[in-house]
Amino acid sequence: MIGIVLVSHSEALANAAMELALQMVHGTQPPIRIAAGAAGGFGTDATAIASAIDDLATTDGVLVITDLGSAILSASLALEIRASTHQVVISDGPFVEATTAAVVGAAAGSSLADITAETSNALSAKKTQTVTAPDASGGDDTAPGSPAASAEERLINPMGLHARPASLLVQTAGEFSADVELTNTTAGRGPVNACSVIGLLSLAASRNDRIRIDANGPDASQAVNAVKQLVLQGFGELS
Amino acid sequence: MPETLTIDAIQQWLNRFASEITTQADWLTELDSAIGDADHGTNMVRGTAAVVAKLDDRSTKTVQELLKAVGMTLVSTVGGASGSLYGTFFLEMGRNSPSSAQLDASELENALRAGVNGVIARGHAAVGDKTMIDALEPAVTVLSQSLADGRQLHGSIAAAAAAATTGRDSTEPLVARKGRASYLGDRSAGHIDPGAASATILVAALAASVGEGKAR
Repeated sequence: MIGIVLVSHSEALANAAMELALQMVHGTQPPIRIAAGAAGGFGTDATAIASAIDDLATTDGVLVITDLGSAILSASLALEIRASTHQVVISDGPFVEATTAAVVGAAAGSSLADITAETSNALSAKKTQTVTAPDASGGDDTAPGSPAASAEERLINPMGLHARPASLLVQTAGEFSADVELTNTTAGRGPVNACSVIGLLSLAASRNDRIRIDANGPDASQAVNAVKQLVLQGFGELS
Repeated sequence: MPETLTIDAIQQWLNRFASEITTQADWLTELDSAIGDADHGTNMVRGTAAVVAKLDDRSTKTVQELLKAVGMTLVSTVGGASGSLYGTFFLEMGRNSPSSAQLDASELENALRAGVNGVIARGHAAVGDKTMIDALEPAVTVLSQSLADGRQLHGSIAAAAAAATTGRDSTEPLVARKGRASYLGDRSAGHIDPGAASATILVAALAASVGEGKAR
């Protein structure tokens, strides 16, 4: 599992972002360190970031997520003055969204490279919801070749496919070797990779939207069935 | 004629920098309150005071070790962009200094150039972005030119300090393109950049220390 270092000018902000992201994890939590504030006030401290990174030296790599400007500057200095030599990447994603994507991805056992790409795309998911864009992401390769397994279901949980169900879906899809894709057929958004929490959120799927599940690979039908069950059960959100 | 900078002279430089920062702290904070978060003076006083305390223990025997220790002290005490940038300046200076107890003129020139290049690389800033680079870059350029023209170290550093001052003042009409001041856009114009102001104090302190060595 990868480790995560949150770098913020404000310790309160970093703690809140971490708590928010951890709402989505219902199993083993990824190791997270916070390097926030400087000399008792607002700011960032490269030495604190370096020791947070060193603290996670036994993980499968570390993703550093930063807030405003000097946070990146301090983080890049931290890479030079740290004692450890394991792999570290500084994410260019927006703080809250990238933290959420990284925490979910790390808990699901994704690689540092995949999580980095995921956090980097975090802003585009937001853009697709604020601007009326019919196509979310990866819409180009939807061409023919029917999937090995498919299903289409209506979302019944009140809040639709928001962050918590999306993270549950990522974890479920991640258990199969098949490639699973989701499409919001009601709104015409997708398909997106079911292992991408940001991609799933970009579907902006609300209650009663119809979701198509497509899978390709050896265990495609099991994967489709598992995801379908989640949808049918309203992601456990029906009381 | 002292054409070298000894460890003692470097310590004098840093002590002078610290005391000038303390004297000018309110002005630096005032500049920062116009376009930033109003803590540059306070932060620099805290950092340079820690440097002075560090110098007091006299444990570093080479210029390289001394400058690295100064850099790490600034990184861990100033905080924020200023800490990382001033820290980078001294760490890079140290990395490009000999492991001996003094610097000759060309070694000092190389070390200062490396320090400034380090700051440029760290902050991705160039002259005209309204940052400390507007003071530092012309200072090292003038230092190099002056030494190449055959002037002595003392006069060359004095010329560098004058160039830093001119560079600092040139930031007043500029619109910030780096750091938090850049969020202000056009409203950042009309104020001297606090980083350029503290960087000018740094170069002026060096000139004063080298000047004293000459008089001895």
